[in-house]
Amino acid sequence: MDKLWSGVQAVLNGLLTGSLYAVIGMGMALIFGVMRIVNFAHGAFMMLGMYVTYVLYERAHINPYFGFVGAALLLGALGYLIYHGLLRRIAERSDFMQILMTLGIALILSDGILLTFGADYHQINIPLLDKNVHLGRITLNAPWLVSFAIAAVLAIGMFLFVMRSSLGRALRAIAQNRYAAPLMGIDVHRVQALSFAMGLAAVGIAGGLLLPVFYLYPGVGDQFTLKAFVMVVLGGMGSIGGAAAAGLTLGVVESLTSLYWGNEWAIAVDFAIFLLVLSLRPAGLFGSQRV
Amino acid sequence: MTRRQLLLALAACAACALLPLVVQKDYQLNVLFRIFLFAALGLAWNLVGGFTGQLSLGHAAFFGIGAYGLALFHGKLGVPVWPALALAVAAAVVASVLIGGVAFRLRGPYFALATIAFAEVLRNVAKNLPDVTGGDVGVQAPPLFAGAISRSFYFAAVGLTACSLAVTAWAARSRFGYYLMAIRENEDTALSVGVNATRSKVSVLAISAALTAVGGALYASLFLYIVPDQVLAIDISNEIAIVAMLGGAGTVLGPIVGAIILETASEVFKNVFHEAHLLIYGVLILLVVLFLPEGIVGALKTLRRRRGKG
Repeated sequence: MDKLWSGVQAVLNGLLTGSLYAVIGMGMALIFGVMRIVNFAHGAFMMLGMYVTYVLYERAHINPYFGFVGAALLLGALGYLIYHGLLRRIAERSDFMQILMTLGIALILSDGILLTFGADYHQINIPLLDKNVHLGRITLNAPWLVSFAIAAVLAIGMFLFVMRSSLGRALRAIAQNRYAAPLMGIDVHRVQALSFAMGLAAVGIAGGLLLPVFYLYPGVGDQFTLKAFVMVVLGGMGSIGGAAAAGLTLGVVESLTSLYWGNEWAIAVDFAIFLLVLSLRPAGLFGSQRV
Repeated sequence: MTRRQLLLALAACAACALLPLVVQKDYQLNVLFRIFLFAALGLAWNLVGGFTGQLSLGHAAFFGIGAYGLALFHGKLGVPVWPALALAVAAAVVASVLIGGVAFRLRGPYFALATIAFAEVLRNVAKNLPDVTGGDVGVQAPPLFAGAISRSFYFAAVGLTACSLAVTAWAARSRFGYYLMAIRENEDTALSVGVNATRSKVSVLAISAALTAVGGALYASLFLYIVPDQVLAIDISNEIAIVAMLGGAGTVLGPIVGAIILETASEVFKNVFHEAHLLIYGVLILLVVLFLPEGIVGALKTLRRRRGKG
């Protein structure tokens, strides 16, 4: 019985971690899945969101569960500027160039943060961290529950935005045919800039929510860039809901891997699943689109 | 190859051979080693990334297999160093067929992501199997040369660059090379005129992997000690691709020019700007993407073509 309970506990913990992955993945689904911008700076932007929330907490004593709004606003604005200043200029060129450009941006961000804040690890301590919720033999950590709730609201919001709003519809139209969309009166660059801003705002929120339960250093985002790509591909290109589901799946898989094999295998298992899905079902686990 | 090009190539070889007469300090020779090593790696990458248009961001896998192959075949199985090197290269070729078999079914950014994923799986496996690979702590690599070490490794790197350049020059004008370029320009059209795209892509990746593995083995043997986060790191994959793209993907000489500029610049930046060197490196990449999208050699070619017309 104990084994069963520890399994259930691991699955629930995985779902809680996975909800944060889902937010990261949904931001990437918007940027890479829908807009087809190969964003290798995704993790670096998340790291920036963590540092913004950290500074708000240290300097202004704003609780990170409110501070993440600041990170979202700042990253959204940054995304808007980066789209118009950099990405827009290479919109017509190959994926190569986007990859190079976003790698360059990632280097600048992480080295910029290193120069400003140093290479030290930081961790914040808020009272909520020690609180637990007990449900029978299951214990859930309170901050993860809070971030799960926020992530759920955000997921629904993003889904509605893409599927229901006129901006979201315009965005999907561009994804379907970027040459026909402007003929229908869509201002491609305006829509793309706003969507890129929104994708970065999402990853900024993820950073803010991750701060209290993780540690902080300039290279912290690197591991999340690849995970974000994995989620988008697993979820099926262009599917926001799919990326969210893939995020939850990754969370659970990692949690179970840690329980039965050891934490150090989690990343290898992530990528092995990714390769397996790419080779067997390139349209993704939850997607129907052809790649 | 025209007579003028042949003479130029011979002159370049002679210059490289004579360079150690002028440059004798170990530090400087090691910088030169790094330049030629990355020139060779960039050339090897260019066969796949430039000529065939398949953006691999996982060449660290082959680099790491070369490095670990040399170290493990010699250290764990007691194979003499040179046969161990050959086995390491063979292992990289086998890996390239496996990776190519999966990744080449994918196009565009998916291919790039699959290659990264392979390299990352290898890195994590190497980290987590301490009994086999030494894990995070690393493993010793045997020296390939005795005596005048810096100079020997410099010559080895020059030799590898010459090999890679010869393969590239051949690919630029052979039937095989035209297949590759046809695949880059339009894979479906290439298929429709009878190019066996899968076989061509897997073959070119195997050649590229073999050259890259030799580079990895040289690197391991010069430093005598390797860890997964160094020889299997994403940074290695990125650096190889950036060298080639900076110089000009799909050009014959581009990766050499890219290696000379990038490796010199990063050495200077490290000494002058210390911690800020990655920031400057990032800015450099942005400038290249914005203003030299075809790379340096590519831009020169375009310039010359325009002059010819005007």
